[in-house]
Amino acid sequence: MATADDEHTRAEQGTGWRSSWPARYARDHAVHLAVVLLFACYPGIYHVATTSQFGLVFESFLPQVQTMTPILYFGLFAMSFDFISGYTGYLSFGHAVFYGTGAYLVIVIANGKIPLLAAGTPFMISVVLAAVLAALIAVAIGLVSFRLTGVYFAMITLGFAQVFYVFIRGWDWVATAPRDGPSVSFGTHPEGFRIGIPYVDGASYAIGRLYGSGLEGFLGLFDLSTTVVSFYMIGLVVLVCYLAMQRIIHSPFGRVMIAIRENEERARAIGYNTFYYKLGAFAISGAFAGVAGALFAGYRRSVTPENTFYFLTTGDALLSSIIGGLGTLAGPLYGRLFEQGLDEFLSKGSEGGGLLPMLQEYLSRSILETNALGLTIEEMIDAFINGRASLYVGIVFVLFVLFVPNGLLGSLRERVGGPIAKLPGRLFGGEKP
Amino acid sequence: MTLLSLTDVHTYYGESHILEGVSLEIEAGEVVALVGRNGVGKTTTIRTILQLTPPREGTVRFKDEEIAGEETHEVARRGIGWIPEDRRIFTQLNVEENLRVAVPDRDALRPALEMAYDAFPILEERRDQRAGTLSGGQQQMLSLARGLVGENELLLVDEPSEGLAPQVVATVAESLAEAATDTSMLVVEQNLPLALDLADRFYVLDNGSIVDEGSTDEVSADSERLRRYLSA
Amino acid sequence: MIDATLFAAEVVPLSIVDAFVEFLHPSELVGVLVDGLSKAAIYAMIAGGLTLIFGLMGVLNFAHGSLTMVGAYLGGAIMVLSVSSATGPMTRLAFFFVGIVVVFGALSAVGGALEISLIRRLYDRPPIAQILLTFGLTLIIDELMRIVLEFYDLQPRADWIAAWGTKPWFLSQRLSIGPVDVRGLALFEILMGVLTVGAIWAFLTRTRYGLFIRAGSEDSEMASALGIDVRRVFTVVFAMGTGVAGVAGMLLMWDTLWGASVPLGAETLLPAFVVVIIGGLGTFRGTVVAALLVGMVDAVMTWWFVNEIRFTGLPELTIFLILVIVLIVRPQGLYGVEGVGGH
Repeated sequence: MATADDEHTRAEQGTGWRSSWPARYARDHAVHLAVVLLFACYPGIYHVATTSQFGLVFESFLPQVQTMTPILYFGLFAMSFDFISGYTGYLSFGHAVFYGTGAYLVIVIANGKIPLLAAGTPFMISVVLAAVLAALIAVAIGLVSFRLTGVYFAMITLGFAQVFYVFIRGWDWVATAPRDGPSVSFGTHPEGFRIGIPYVDGASYAIGRLYGSGLEGFLGLFDLSTTVVSFYMIGLVVLVCYLAMQRIIHSPFGRVMIAIRENEERARAIGYNTFYYKLGAFAISGAFAGVAGALFAGYRRSVTPENTFYFLTTGDALLSSIIGGLGTLAGPLYGRLFEQGLDEFLSKGSEGGGLLPMLQEYLSRSILETNALGLTIEEMIDAFINGRASLYVGIVFVLFVLFVPNGLLGSLRERVGGPIAKLPGRLFGGEKP
Repeated sequence: MTLLSLTDVHTYYGESHILEGVSLEIEAGEVVALVGRNGVGKTTTIRTILQLTPPREGTVRFKDEEIAGEETHEVARRGIGWIPEDRRIFTQLNVEENLRVAVPDRDALRPALEMAYDAFPILEERRDQRAGTLSGGQQQMLSLARGLVGENELLLVDEPSEGLAPQVVATVAESLAEAATDTSMLVVEQNLPLALDLADRFYVLDNGSIVDEGSTDEVSADSERLRRYLSA
Repeated sequence: MIDATLFAAEVVPLSIVDAFVEFLHPSELVGVLVDGLSKAAIYAMIAGGLTLIFGLMGVLNFAHGSLTMVGAYLGGAIMVLSVSSATGPMTRLAFFFVGIVVVFGALSAVGGALEISLIRRLYDRPPIAQILLTFGLTLIIDELMRIVLEFYDLQPRADWIAAWGTKPWFLSQRLSIGPVDVRGLALFEILMGVLTVGAIWAFLTRTRYGLFIRAGSEDSEMASALGIDVRRVFTVVFAMGTGVAGVAGMLLMWDTLWGASVPLGAETLLPAFVVVIIGGLGTFRGTVVAALLVGMVDAVMTWWFVNEIRFTGLPELTIFLILVIVLIVRPQGLYGVEGVGGH
């Protein structure tokens, strides 16, 4: 299996410096490097593009930097969803529970409610605790749920998540108005949450639109706003988490996960204790989902039960995963990018630019006021396009389920050939890989 | 007239090549036995005829019309009936409902039920009982009756005696023989004496293809000719 | 009745015992019973359509809630357009029943169209694909609904108050039955529930097509081998299921606890799932029994929330806990047959 592949690759590559260890690593991860570079340069690219001659057009199509940051941490959540659902085939419909746990824990710690933990506990420690708590909850839920499979597993995890949702909505210890959700009080935690090495001066930066650190004189050239700094710091955490998940997928543990997805009976027959592997994978996915929730809370400083524990949060992760590609790990991030990008493109306010302002700029008055089917073009755009991203994302989603089951990244990998030969197409059918 | 003919049929389950070029024929009025060890593809042959598992290659003709690729219900409506292995009666329905589902023509319902109850009085006794509560033998009788009421010209019978007590086997054999007087049949059966007694001709299936055929007059259950292919 | 308070003071907080004693009072119990039955009726109607589809095709129709919501708005529109403040109560009821027929027809047509154009492409795929597809449909339907509503200046997130206003006066009131005070609407809901369940039951058990559905539900291969066009049966069942969902929605638009709003979709979807799963796959009887169970639990827990335990989510919490417990103890549901419904 793997050994044959390795030998084959080695035989192909021959000897010499090109086949040495670091070179091979760089080549295997060339795509990763390129993508990371692209993300890293994005603020710069955005700035240059939007201040150029076609600035308005670029501003319409490119998401703002401040939109990119939530894409990153929610993308991490979606990736953790893919980690369990795409690779073991067990759809975690209750995944929002881990996201919510991470988010709520961070805020509750920052409000000084946890004994033994000061309100000023470094954010990084809170993040780790969030991961641990989420993992423990995952184990608890998994112990019960993994006795079931398929739709039943999905429904029981959904049931558990809804129990948590309803509970947290009424629990007044977490927030004075639990239906509205908790927020970090300025009194107990006046500073922004810092990502970096705790307790070491200068080795961490605060995130958040208002509370974040700005950075002047970066590399002697740029002044970075709080938005951009948050983007980089959160991006760093997300990258580390992604690489960790990726490492696990490409390890023997990951191979068992995939074996479980392909044919659990056979995996068990060979001798693997699939229950423990499933539990482990679930705990890992829960931990990273918790980290994502923690980042969310750290950035926004206030959360609601609806944007954390509610099942539609998992729905969003599912959406991103299908569009990006289930079973690709990185796919969900791109799926979220696509979805949020479209959302901003079609958004009602023209904060980040969008279709409407662009159309208003470039279409003449006479076209906009033309009557068709009883409405002016302008009215039609307003009714059917402005702010209606959900509709088009939904349509894209349905089309993908029908015709592009591998998602964007999955289809791309299929054409180009990827390191993991088995593709998610078989997870819910469609073309053969 | 040739009622059914398979020519060079290849059927796959996924990538497994189960039927590797099967050809056979059934004339109108005949009973043909299909024998062979477990797992050689006998049930698959029946499933292929019904288009439940359509063939990848080859032709399946019924009354000289190509039926490969048709929907199963269309094949069934042509007058091909199925008495499957494991009976597959509808356990949630009662006995009479099981029979009613099989009768295509509403007007034919009463005479069909009468005929079935005539042949299997025990079914009439239990007509309102949920089929899932019947004994194995009774379920087999229901399955048989269901095949018989369907106004079929060809019956595909899969292991009718499997798992049944000897007295019940006798009843089943009797009913099949009775049905054979006006219905053609393809019978898959491990119980050789029963199969050879019932059938006019036989085919032997081994490893996905036909390896022998002949008239049942030529052989008996313990002849060397058959034992080669059928030893457990 | 023993004066339980004598013992209780030592063991249990006095107020809980008091509350329990109050709960057991006949007028309270009857009130809870009626409330429970009306909720059961609603759950049975919401879940009925879903179970028909799930039972036969193994499709967990995530769009079910959204279709219920569409039924609510369509029904609401019919009523709002037909009824004026001068219309008498019996005429209003008449319009309501006409509306039911229209909504059933319209939603059935939509369901059938969806099945033919989209759902049936996924039959050869694992059930997950159908869940995903119907989830996507929910997003589309919800957003389309929002577009339509905002076009007519209706608030999508808020309940449609005008629709409430089309109720006959006696349904908005509380009626006295003996010592008990019940909502008129609750009785109407029970009636509608019984009629709907009865109609579905009669269709399944007394008609030829119902026979085909039940047979196909259990073993679709065998059914096709008997000449039944299972694919067409799927379409009919899907259409019926969505039709029933629409009717349930129309009923809910009059109920102030629910009301016609876009979130109604999500509000009805989860309880529907819970009921179908607790009852068991492929069994209509299971759904009815589960609806009764869930309805009664909901009513009991609501009473306790209102009167004693100050926890807002108590009824919902209990219902989801029941779901979890049932899935642990008996995953195929109370009446489920293992292996039915494509799993």
